[in-house]
Amino acid sequence: MTTTQAPPPPFDPELAAALNAVADQIPSSVTPEQIPLMRQGGGALAQLAAPDLTRDGRFTVEDRTVPGPDGAPDISLLICRPTGTTGTLGCVYHTHGGGMIVGDNRSGIGEMLDWAERFGLVVVSVEYRLAPETPHPGPVEDCYAGLVWTAAHATDLGYDPDRLLVAGASAGGGLAAALALLSRDRGGPSLLGQMLIYPMLDDRNNTPSAIQMAGRGVWDRTSNQTGWGALLGDAAGGPDVSPYAAPARATDLSNLPPAYIDAGSAETFRDEDVAYATHIWQSGGRAELHVWPGGFHGFDLMVPTAAISQDAREARLHWLNRLFNA
Amino acid sequence: MRDLAVRLAALDEDAGAALRVIAYFDGLIEAGAGLQSIVRGAAVLADCPARLDDEARRVHIRVLPDGVPSPAPLAADKAWPHLAAGSVTLRLERSGPPGPVDAMVLERAVSAARTVLDRTRGRAPAADTTALVELLIDAAGPADARLLAARHLGLPADTPAYVLVRPEGVFINVDEPTSGRAGIGPAVPVLELPASHLAARTALRFTAAGTEEDPGPQVVSYAELGALAALATVPDPGAVPDVQALEHAAAAAPWLLQTLHAVTTTTSLRAAATTLRVHHSTLQDRVIHAEHLLGWSIRDPHGCLRTQLALALRRLHRNP
Repeated sequence: MTTTQAPPPPFDPELAAALNAVADQIPSSVTPEQIPLMRQGGGALAQLAAPDLTRDGRFTVEDRTVPGPDGAPDISLLICRPTGTTGTLGCVYHTHGGGMIVGDNRSGIGEMLDWAERFGLVVVSVEYRLAPETPHPGPVEDCYAGLVWTAAHATDLGYDPDRLLVAGASAGGGLAAALALLSRDRGGPSLLGQMLIYPMLDDRNNTPSAIQMAGRGVWDRTSNQTGWGALLGDAAGGPDVSPYAAPARATDLSNLPPAYIDAGSAETFRDEDVAYATHIWQSGGRAELHVWPGGFHGFDLMVPTAAISQDAREARLHWLNRLFNA
Repeated sequence: MRDLAVRLAALDEDAGAALRVIAYFDGLIEAGAGLQSIVRGAAVLADCPARLDDEARRVHIRVLPDGVPSPAPLAADKAWPHLAAGSVTLRLERSGPPGPVDAMVLERAVSAARTVLDRTRGRAPAADTTALVELLIDAAGPADARLLAARHLGLPADTPAYVLVRPEGVFINVDEPTSGRAGIGPAVPVLELPASHLAARTALRFTAAGTEEDPGPQVVSYAELGALAALATVPDPGAVPDVQALEHAAAAAPWLLQTLHAVTTTTSLRAAATTLRVHHSTLQDRVIHAEHLLGWSIRDPHGCLRTQLALALRRLHRNP
């Protein structure tokens, strides 16, 4: 296919500048050998210093241990509840990112707390077991068990069960998409929406965008192979991969909660994310798709100050506003 | 890889930080970024509000450290770190001690901004500025045309503006120059700028080159002239006998004019000597000599006033 030979789309100027400035600290390609180092963090790669999750007392913060999947260990849920809000609360159930191999339930929590303050939400973020130590279906089943518990304890947590949303970015976006599929197929919790932020959906790792962006930007094809290989082993890219591991494998995307999907035009996941939205529409479903020109993977997290990052975050707020307040 | 969040604002103080600043602005230019991106880069990297002003091209951009554009709420503080290149000035709104990368941010951002401005807006200032200013200071011009000119010049109708006149031209709302003569009119509603212009022209006549043969202030504000402004109506100041006396005395003693200016604008002979950088006793000798040449005392209050008036009239004569 000639299109796969085409040069990749240019990065947005501000994102390009940021990438230029920290190029030595952000390897495009992550290999399995680098997983332990990535988990340690260090230097500028370290996650931001532990933020004050209470935000000066505007949230109560609790880590609660709840039952895991059948026969598996308990799981831990980070639960942040707004203290000052009156009226009906909703809930965002968050699955963190990290390529299935790194991160914890604090990763990416900042934007969830922003939404919670804006829309009156309880934030629940699940600590799922990571690959490769825990291959599929362990991670997604941990997430699902936490979701079932969260839905069953709506009264306890103080939110309206009709206002429960799943959300995640990157691998967490793939997990959130899988939760929507699992809930539908198992008659599980009813979801108001699914917020899929540049989700990691397709283990086949062979779209034109994956090929175009190899060796460039953030989380390239090699990194993606590292993540899927950790989760699925030799089965990655093969004929027998469950849609609950890689939602792009799902043949039926009907009867799902409304989806918000975004991606950068200059990232590995661009084509699988666009395809997922297209597939939802073709199945008669509701999806909103944003492709941010020149965005690399995780651009708004890495460069939140860039104009395009501000716009991307604003677009998510607009969708949430319609979801909760329409 | 989303967990590899790097906050550029958290650049540390090591030498690598400066290199990252360079790489950042190089990346912006290479990617064809616009002005706002450059100012945003400065604000984010310096971690304080940054503003870019190009009076000649009427470009004003201000961005907060979280990347959000925000119009300037206040006039620029001269103490803020800043750097100018051509007509472009970039300022970091920081009043405390300088940040570790301020100097590098200013240098690279100004250079980048200038590159973009020269590329997109041409090297020359906006073409018809002079014509617009002339319209604005012409009392005979129709009010609506003058308001339109004000808008084109970026002057809000409800904010007072002032005229600054220099020998080379008329300017509106510009900072006083660091060198060269300038007269400043009072701040007035834009429709009253013709009056501010007349006042600024009058103030300019009271300025001096600041040299030995033309001592005095290079910049004069009309508002500070007070009753002295009435002297501007004297028809032929050069014909006033005291002015002629000054000229004769100055021809005999080259130090005379500067000495008179110093003695009549300081509170003591000692302070005047310091200003002139001469010994106290030298100045006393000069004063006696000057009084002899002029024929009047320059130290008693009346003589001091007489000398000041003569010096002022001499400037008016030199700046018709």
